[in-house]
Amino acid sequence: MDLVDRYLKAVGKALPEAQREDIIRELSEDIRSEMEDKQSELGRPLTETEQQTLLKQRGNPLLLAARYHQDDRRVAFGRQLIGPVLYPFYIRVLSFNLGLTFVVIGTIFLALSLSGQHIGFNDILSSSLLQLFIQLGVVTLIFSLIEKSLTKHPDRWDLSGTCGSVRLGVKIEKNISKPPDRSKWISRFESVSIIVACTIALIWVTGVQSYPFLILGPAAAFLRLAPIWQQVYFPIVFLTVLEIVRAAINLVRPDWTLFRAVYTVCVHCGGLAVVYFLIRAGGWVTAADSLAAGPGAYAHAAHIVNQWIYYGLLVTAIFSAVMLIVRVTRLIRQPRQWGGSPRVTETANQRN
Amino acid sequence: MTPGTNNHDMFENLRLELRRGSLVLAVLAALRKEQYGYTLRKTLEEQGMAIDEGTLYPLLRRLESQGLLLSEWREEEKRNKRFYRLSTDGKVILKQLLAEWQSINSSLNGML
Repeated sequence: MDLVDRYLKAVGKALPEAQREDIIRELSEDIRSEMEDKQSELGRPLTETEQQTLLKQRGNPLLLAARYHQDDRRVAFGRQLIGPVLYPFYIRVLSFNLGLTFVVIGTIFLALSLSGQHIGFNDILSSSLLQLFIQLGVVTLIFSLIEKSLTKHPDRWDLSGTCGSVRLGVKIEKNISKPPDRSKWISRFESVSIIVACTIALIWVTGVQSYPFLILGPAAAFLRLAPIWQQVYFPIVFLTVLEIVRAAINLVRPDWTLFRAVYTVCVHCGGLAVVYFLIRAGGWVTAADSLAAGPGAYAHAAHIVNQWIYYGLLVTAIFSAVMLIVRVTRLIRQPRQWGGSPRVTETANQRN
Repeated sequence: MTPGTNNHDMFENLRLELRRGSLVLAVLAALRKEQYGYTLRKTLEEQGMAIDEGTLYPLLRRLESQGLLLSEWREEEKRNKRFYRLSTDGKVILKQLLAEWQSINSSLNGML
């Protein structure tokens, strides 16, 4: 994929879907016509740096795509928090997060209901509203920070389709005729997303220790987390921090694909070990003693919830094991695929 | 912010505002003859009405959706290009806008 294709791909991500193909075709024609003109003027093909300069002049792909949007929707509380450029992404991320959260809440309530617990409308409403406010707050905060950065530095962007303090420049050794295939590089958007997601997960995991309702919802009134969770707490935190470190490294060195592949396999093994110890524990929640309901009143509920967790862990273990096998096989069979980085003497540390 | 910078920013905003209205007229006038996007951009640039593609193409789409322009994809020099031209409604509107422009122009000339 050449530079123009990558630029167009970045623009396409933010275009209205109905017109995407048509707009990209037209923009592609415009860019290539301009490059041909420049080549005729110079009497030689354009260098990669010259191509980059031409694309840079066209501006941030997100801002360019935003001009094609007919609607002008935004989020504002007094002052604008999220503008029309990021609004479609904001809605997409928020919808996904809320959808996932409500599926989890629904599953918990279904399990409780099947165990014979009485679930009131108020329980469902309060849990749903709490999650709604948390998700809304966190996602809005993250996007308003991105918006702030985009407004402040509209010229900072790279060709992975993202904006912010990311870079485009790459130095290639002079004696190398074939440039590295940057389509295999790790997108900085992906690295930033992982850092944000893992940080939120870290805060959540830490919070669950003190506030079990964050994971059990209203069931926290009569269920307790089993001691196994305290035993795996530090390994989980450690693995999450390792993933943040890895994403931070790949943010600076997106060309370190082999490093990511090996590192991910190691972290994956650690994750599988945690799942193994969890499955071996046999019980993950216990019934809380209740003076009002009497001892053992919630044992049945705990039993049903444990069964659901068991199946969940089993599915996670099988899925993770298959993924691990796929990753290791790919690592062994395609060693050349990861070999793009040695040609690059100095990477993305140069800002254009 | 210094007063100089402030004045410069204010001038730049007013200049862009003034140009924005003229651009529609310039694009409609240039499309009396059928052209595709890139040549249209070059024509406007040569006439001293430089416009970046991020402004031109969305504007062309808007004018087309308003029924003032017609477009079609056609092959030229072994490449597919989208050609634009004025529609019948576009010709009428252009005539009216030009009359309005000339009226504004003569009024301003009288005042300056």
